[in-house]
Amino acid sequence: MLQFFVDVILRTVDLALIAVALSCVYSLIRFPNIALVQYATAGALIALGLQTLGLPLYLAIVLSCVITGLMAVVLSVLIFEKLLDTSPPLAMVGSLAVSMIFTAVFLVTVGPRPKRFDLEIMAPVRWAGVSITPMQLVSVGLTMGAILLFALLLFRTGLGRSMRATSTNRVLAEATGIPTRKVINGVIVLSGILAALGGISISLKGEMGAQLGFDLLLPIFAAAILGGLGNALGAALGAFTIALAETFVTNVNFGWVVSQDFYFLPASFATIVSFGLLVLILLFRPHGLLVSEVKRV
Amino acid sequence: MFDFLIHVSIMASLYAVLALSLNLQLGIAGLVNFGQILLFGAGAYGAAFAFSNQLGLAAGIGAGLALAVCVGLLFARLGRGLGGDYWGIATLAVAEACRMLLQTGGDLTGGAQGISGLPPLFEAGSRQDAALMTLGVCLAFLAAVYWLCRSLTHSRYGLSLKILREEPQLAVSLGYNPNALRTQVLVLSSMIAAVGGVIFAHYISFVGPDQIVAAETFLIWAMVIVGGVGNHFGVILGAVLMQFLFAFVPFAKDLLDMPSDYVAAMRLALVGGGLLIFLLWRPQGLVRERIGGGHRGG
Repeated sequence: MLQFFVDVILRTVDLALIAVALSCVYSLIRFPNIALVQYATAGALIALGLQTLGLPLYLAIVLSCVITGLMAVVLSVLIFEKLLDTSPPLAMVGSLAVSMIFTAVFLVTVGPRPKRFDLEIMAPVRWAGVSITPMQLVSVGLTMGAILLFALLLFRTGLGRSMRATSTNRVLAEATGIPTRKVINGVIVLSGILAALGGISISLKGEMGAQLGFDLLLPIFAAAILGGLGNALGAALGAFTIALAETFVTNVNFGWVVSQDFYFLPASFATIVSFGLLVLILLFRPHGLLVSEVKRV
Repeated sequence: MFDFLIHVSIMASLYAVLALSLNLQLGIAGLVNFGQILLFGAGAYGAAFAFSNQLGLAAGIGAGLALAVCVGLLFARLGRGLGGDYWGIATLAVAEACRMLLQTGGDLTGGAQGISGLPPLFEAGSRQDAALMTLGVCLAFLAAVYWLCRSLTHSRYGLSLKILREEPQLAVSLGYNPNALRTQVLVLSSMIAAVGGVIFAHYISFVGPDQIVAAETFLIWAMVIVGGVGNHFGVILGAVLMQFLFAFVPFAKDLLDMPSDYVAAMRLALVGGGLLIFLLWRPQGLVRERIGGGHRGG
């Protein structure tokens, strides 16, 4: 039973940071950026590249986050804001196109085979029937720390107050002297950093590859929409809910349904469940579990 | 080489039909459908189910149309009360979930191996004759769909769809029912895509989940955006162009002496780059939409 919760937490950690980043950007510029999942892959691959160049891992991670953050703001200014001015749905198609180009670049530079960080192999910790590797612990710590810091930034600092003001009413925020332009760019850098950290924390526990981003796309959107797209911390809660549903479906013995002793659904059902959940949410609670907003026309 | 050209032409005309179907949704009614390939897959799997139950082509077309209409109605139901961007994600989720269900479907869907052995449309003397006849059917179908789309767009009905796309609130105030209009467009374009899927299934004689991956939807999107959103002729042009470029990629790889891993990367870059370049610098596409009464041309 304890192992079940450990699995749920580990999956939540996979999704949470990128979902928070997605939601956070949406709250400011109403733009669901598909390319964010590729920033996660890029962050992990850049960190790996820096590590192979001989940098210590923690330094490689910090540098990779900075690079990805800057890349996010450059792409946003050069491409996405131009497209958002013409038509928001087409901006989403633009971010999809950028994602495809990212995958092409990954395939050419890194190749189709998955890669791993160069880490010491350590024995998993066993405690009360649960086994967990030290890197999984690091990844959980990294994610929780990042979310905590993000929450503190959002609710305890002047920048956070400006962010919340800009997302609630941009025109009013501008009129009261908040430099909304800078706030938005700051948030986009932050989203790049969060996404890169998310990708790195996934890769610390396992592998990274060109397909990592696209495999994450729909579970991340499910998490962000479940939390109410635009509600950044809600996205973390959404990630937990999706992780719970996915882990439940693949870990519960459905033997009683088909009158056999054991029947476990194949692992691909985890993905089907998160997509199905996303569709159900959009059918019945399009604005997420937390918000009770008036419908858009 | 000639056989290969016939094959590419058949695929180009089938994808042109899919692009016309997406253009009806996106270009005329303004619906951002990221699950387009599922409608095609519904047709293909309909034909395959009919075949595995020892039924003929007519039953296959019936099953394909019925499946596609179900998917179209589900898309339309999802579209109520959802903004454009949300709906795009929802359709992508439905398409991917269905693909995975088909992949784990066991004996009914053939799982990852799919269903193979569908009979070709024509039992002609040589393979080349049969392929040429199939090409003829595809071109005739494409012409029929083009004619249908054009006359629809130029009718009062098409104008009402365009009002819905440009000014939804104005359309409501004029007494149009947006949900009904969107449902009709989705059902019609689903049926068009499904017939394409049936022809495809019998031509390739194999139906499997790998044929309906999301990347195919994005390819169709690139055809519509490159060709010109809202212009039926432009969309056909975009489809032919993209399909022939795709077919050329393996030759380019040999010419430039690159490893075969690069084929997938080059195709991705082609679709992504094409989409991005046109969205940024020529959002109207190769052939722009005719605005106004538009009873002539385009």
